[in-house]
Amino acid sequence: MFRKLYSWFDSRTGIQASLEEALYENIPGGAKWRYVSGSMLVFAFMTQLITGLFLWMYYSPGSQNAWASVYYITFEMEGGNLLRGIHHVMAQAMVCLLPIHLLQVVIEKAYTKPREFNWWLGLVLMKITLALGLTGYLLPWDQQGYWATKVATELAALPPLIGGLTQKLIVGGSDYGHFTLTRFFALHAGVLPGLLIGFLVLHLAMFRKHGITAHSSPHRPDQLFWPMQVLKDGIACALLFAVVVFAAIAEPVELGPPAEPTEAFGAARPEWYFLFLFQMLKYFDGSLGFNTELVGAIVLPVVLIGFMFAMPLIARKKFGHHLNVTVIVMIISAVVYLTWEAKQEDNYYLNHPDDTQSEAYNRSKRFHEEVGRSEKEFELIQQLIKDYGIPLGGPTALQQRDPLTMGLRLFRRQCASCHAYSHDEYAVAGPPNPDARHDSPLNYGAPDLAHFGSVKWIQGLLSNDAATGIRSERYFGKTLHVSGEMAEHVHETMWASAETAADRQTLATQIEQVAWALSAEAQLPYLDYAANQEKIEAGIAHLNDDTLGCIECHNYGDNEDGYVIDLNGYASADWITKMISEPTQTGFYDGGSDNDRMPSFHTAATKLLTPREIELLVRFLREDRSLIDD
Amino acid sequence: MNEAKPEQHDSETNLPHETNERRGFLGSAAGITAAVLGGLLGVGPLAIGLYATVMDPLRKKTTPQKAAGDAVGAKEGFYFVAQLGELDSHVPRRFTIMADKIDAWNFMKDQPIGSVYMRMQGEQVECFHTTCPHAGCAVSYELESQAYQCPCHNSSFNVDGSKLEGGRSSNPSPRGLDALEVYVQGTSVFVKYEDYFTGRHDKIAK
Repeated sequence: MFRKLYSWFDSRTGIQASLEEALYENIPGGAKWRYVSGSMLVFAFMTQLITGLFLWMYYSPGSQNAWASVYYITFEMEGGNLLRGIHHVMAQAMVCLLPIHLLQVVIEKAYTKPREFNWWLGLVLMKITLALGLTGYLLPWDQQGYWATKVATELAALPPLIGGLTQKLIVGGSDYGHFTLTRFFALHAGVLPGLLIGFLVLHLAMFRKHGITAHSSPHRPDQLFWPMQVLKDGIACALLFAVVVFAAIAEPVELGPPAEPTEAFGAARPEWYFLFLFQMLKYFDGSLGFNTELVGAIVLPVVLIGFMFAMPLIARKKFGHHLNVTVIVMIISAVVYLTWEAKQEDNYYLNHPDDTQSEAYNRSKRFHEEVGRSEKEFELIQQLIKDYGIPLGGPTALQQRDPLTMGLRLFRRQCASCHAYSHDEYAVAGPPNPDARHDSPLNYGAPDLAHFGSVKWIQGLLSNDAATGIRSERYFGKTLHVSGEMAEHVHETMWASAETAADRQTLATQIEQVAWALSAEAQLPYLDYAANQEKIEAGIAHLNDDTLGCIECHNYGDNEDGYVIDLNGYASADWITKMISEPTQTGFYDGGSDNDRMPSFHTAATKLLTPREIELLVRFLREDRSLIDD
Repeated sequence: MNEAKPEQHDSETNLPHETNERRGFLGSAAGITAAVLGGLLGVGPLAIGLYATVMDPLRKKTTPQKAAGDAVGAKEGFYFVAQLGELDSHVPRRFTIMADKIDAWNFMKDQPIGSVYMRMQGEQVECFHTTCPHAGCAVSYELESQAYQCPCHNSSFNVDGSKLEGGRSSNPSPRGLDALEVYVQGTSVFVKYEDYFTGRHDKIAK
């Protein structure tokens, strides 16, 4: 029955003849494991084609949508992480298999007459595969892909005359945006795979025309492609797939924070298989007096590829084959070395923890700080998405309303040159080196603003402890205030007059109560004021009775004789806004006489921060995470 | 170009099928015509597609349309960046340039379009593009080393924008940081913000 059906089918389609044609290829010397690399590459490409098509069903190019859709695929879509993971890992597997396949061909001398065309087709396929890797890296539109690809497209502008045009064509204009994504996506999912299929068909046709380059051996009889070689190929591909799936599960594919054109990412690196090109750029430093970057980025790679194209012709000469092998081995060694060196430079700080003064150490440390910062930003956007979802304006529109994301950025840019922020989860380092500003007569570094206005923070301000009190580096230690009235009052009056242990205990209790009273002015969202009403009331009484001598200088409640830093509404949103905007105004450092280098960030004359930015910073300092609305 | 060809084609098809024997590929007028026609059919759509893909980005400027915008007294091509009082005389500060931006089909008001570093040098305002002239990463001013550092390929620059020489590692930038033209009116600082080609010895505007 089946036989009859099959013969009917065969007579209409000729399938039997086609199968025989395809499978009964003679293999001189018989099936071998080392012939599997080509089939593995074809299988890897098929995997990319299929997983890519499914990813396409979820991906949306465009500045607002690209990251959001990849986020959806990676973290919300059922099976999406595995799908994207396989696509991601298999791409790398392909890049690993390519040089193996290529080396085999070179060692077996299979690139020489009459297989020149097949060698050239193979080189074209290699270029297309690498181009697929490059274009795919940008598509998630995260900080890493954005900034790394930006370097690549900058290099496209290097050739004289046509460089500028080339860059515009690739980017789709003069700036990165929608058109960059639509173009890269069309290349990645359409043009390049289409070309790859076309060249692959030719590559395979050439391969079938010339057959396997095998040296027949009397010990091993010839075999046909079917079944032994097919079985070996199948096993190898199955193993590859298993390894790739395992890797995709073991290390789920990642996504960086969304691309932000004005928030430069200081740890941008290309995909690891392009690191050698990245590293090579460091060597072309123009010290020869002409534009050597063009040489490093374009001329040298083109010459090397050109050499590879010429290899079949070189091999015709005496010792030509040996020259070819030597050069190929040198290229591969150089690539491996440069990749290793790039990694070493980035990890210098981990491998040489003692060499803290060197340029390499600091550079590598900054690299790792940037990586950490980017991971933090990703955690933040992930939380935001859980709470609010991604708005139509895209993920960056959400970030720009978040006091924590923006507060950290603004603090780093505008505040961290003086203030530290030593928060447990979201720390920002303060000024790096006390003597960095050579015009500064003093060590400088303003108070640590983590938990500013909290009970603990105020208690520290009123403490005489050398390590944590008012004269320590956490408060006024590195400012002019270290010898000012406030520090003197805390040390010489408050604590000096508490002579016995019992006195000191009493003073500490009073300070705690005053700290609660002051913090109650701030109404910080993370403190429980209702449960500490007694302390707050006692503190208010101390302030009004001037137990600690506060209102001799500061205004509080009915006392209006103070001349510096108003304690009414202390650390409230309004108070901090005024302090940041113009610290020399009445109620703060009145007239500026007591102000130690705190700039005005928003006055008629200076607008270092916009009102919106100040609002974000204020919420950030108060650890108020509610989004600001436009 | 090939207006004569269709006529040949007609005359060829009117001929009777004289023989079954295969001639060379291009041995007959019909063969030549078919090959040319086939070529044109392939090239036609490709040419139109390429034309649209190539010409559109070349003709259009996706950079901000409304330079300097609403600020009074702005010159052509200049953007308002800061007030004089915001500039420090030693440490360069980074400023963001805001302008209306067009990204393909989207129009966005008041977007950050780029950034510069500025400081006072005596009476003069010194202003540098934050894009590294080597390969287009963004430099940042580091207080520790009092120099601009690029996080990508180790380029570094003195505070005055010149290339930092004599460091232990290489400094691949082909030129110093790109200084931008500044124009001060009253207390307002305007900057002629433009991008330059990276990786070239000379500073050439894009």
